[in-house]
Amino acid sequence: MNLAGIRALVAKDFTLFFRNRFFALITPLALIVYIGLYFVMPRSVDETMDIGVYAPGWSAVVDDIQQQGLRIHVAESVDELKDGVTDHDYVAGIVLPADLAEKLASGEKPRIDLYVASDVTEEAKEAVASLMREMIYALSGQPLAVEFSTEVLPGPDTVGEQIPPRDRMRPLFAVFLIVFETFGMATLITEEIEHRTIQALLVTPVSVKDLFAAKGFTGITLAFGQGALFMAFVGGLNDQPAIIILALLLAALLVTGIGFFIASLAKDMMSVLAWGLLALVILVIPAMGIMFPGVITGWAMVIPSYYVVDTVDRVANYGSDWPDIWQNLLILVAFSVAFLLVGMVALRRRFQ
Amino acid sequence: MGQDAIAVEELVYSYGELVAVDHISFKVAEGEILGFLGPNGAGKTTTVKMLTGQLKPKGGRAQVLGMDVARDAGKIRGEIGVCFEQTNLYEQMSALENLLLFARLFGISDFDGMALLKRIGLAGREKDRVEGYSKGMKQRLMVARSLVNRPRILFLDEPTAGLDPASAEAICSIILEERARGATVFLTTHDMMEADQLSNRVAFMNGGKIVALDTPHNLKQQYGKRALKAKVQTPAGGLQDREVILDAPETPDLVHNLFAGERVVTIHSEEATLEDIFIKITGRGLKE
Repeated sequence: MNLAGIRALVAKDFTLFFRNRFFALITPLALIVYIGLYFVMPRSVDETMDIGVYAPGWSAVVDDIQQQGLRIHVAESVDELKDGVTDHDYVAGIVLPADLAEKLASGEKPRIDLYVASDVTEEAKEAVASLMREMIYALSGQPLAVEFSTEVLPGPDTVGEQIPPRDRMRPLFAVFLIVFETFGMATLITEEIEHRTIQALLVTPVSVKDLFAAKGFTGITLAFGQGALFMAFVGGLNDQPAIIILALLLAALLVTGIGFFIASLAKDMMSVLAWGLLALVILVIPAMGIMFPGVITGWAMVIPSYYVVDTVDRVANYGSDWPDIWQNLLILVAFSVAFLLVGMVALRRRFQ
Repeated sequence: MGQDAIAVEELVYSYGELVAVDHISFKVAEGEILGFLGPNGAGKTTTVKMLTGQLKPKGGRAQVLGMDVARDAGKIRGEIGVCFEQTNLYEQMSALENLLLFARLFGISDFDGMALLKRIGLAGREKDRVEGYSKGMKQRLMVARSLVNRPRILFLDEPTAGLDPASAEAICSIILEERARGATVFLTTHDMMEADQLSNRVAFMNGGKIVALDTPHNLKQQYGKRALKAKVQTPAGGLQDREVILDAPETPDLVHNLFAGERVVTIHSEEATLEDIFIKITGRGLKE
């Protein structure tokens, strides 16, 4: 390895990266924006839930539930209740018929209408259903003739210590910052190929291996640097910093390999954009699971970035330790090395 | 001229079915300028790529400065300078930054970039980004970059193509200075005049083969004809052309008769050009 040559190439790559107006602007800007977003997001969890109720003749019961800390909005009609739901004034609207008590007493099955907005999450629907059970208990004065069994499965118990939204978003932001460097890496290499500067480099004592080493170092430094800076600013390195740093480093290695691969496919800057966007969309899918819990299922585990998101999320937000996430890190190493090797082999052909 | 700087023996390269370089053999002595001529697709660039370690030969042998191009490409690259036909500079960097980068890649710690820029007439613009340079300035910088490591062999691919006369002249002067320093120059060009003026020998390449290799003078002797072209006045007052082939046994008599028997108005000698000779040998032009 020609270390002096590699150092010269890395210095040149950093110079060119920051002389590219787009990357010079977007790199610090993205970092600032994501750190800013983190700090403007709620730092605590709002556990209150707004519910609409149309319950003619049940005002006393409604008052009683309201005093238990729930935010109940009393509607004057079913239409007003529906409007409240569609306007997102409350999560759900419940209609309690006036003859509810009589029917419960006579053993009949009373009909209770529940209106829920189309975009309400499964978690909220479950919460509303639980609330209804509570209300019926309050109305009838006796528990339902069913038995509920609750079992707490092993895992982090966050009762009373719910993860604030901004902390839940940390892995998402970190992955965004790192994954974006796929563009940076692919652009640097594609420009070298497009402008034939790579030919000029390859008639000096610098070898193809030296070139890969320099590009790899540049890519990993840029990607890891941004991810680590972000996590440091938002307190993501407070617990188990070694694991988080290792996960971010592997993520940087992964995106560098993907950057190599994209550069080998791309014929010009437009192709870099097209392939880069495709990679970006795929790689952020696992991170979306944080924003929309329940949407991402087992299939996301085939996407390498899943193991970055999952590791960072579990370590930073739930205090997981090496024994909990070593498998994640191992899979991430395998993905990163595989992409790097495939990228280098594919790119080598384009250098000739 | 001393030992062989380049020695090529039965060198072959093919792209799939297409044989780009077909068993060529030649030698270039140290301190020699070899003009490498041929139309597009003749195999010139592929040959240069093999000699500079960019491509591995698929057959035959080539030695550069006594080192095998297939085994010692890394070592060879430290001793050569390559100037490409198409501009491939880092345009977002200045001229001085470009030269300093390559000096560092060659491991040269005491490199004087300003002296080199002064030599090629770019002093005063050294801090400007290359993207703002004219084609001539960029080409001069390309040549300068190939000289960063004071190469023992200089590979120049169409160094003056499309340049204004002043820039072309500046580059030709640098080539001659490099030869005077003792460097070997492998000059690939379409420009017959340039090849004729600069080269000690020229090689004609066509269809992957070397079809002729000699000094320009010998090639002209062998394949061309030298003649005297004259315009003479007729008795009626008009002008007529006369041609006397030189190098023939009867030439002295013919020249004598021309001046004795006719009123010569103008006369000049005419020599075959390298282009004429190339066409004669290959049946095609160099710019095809």
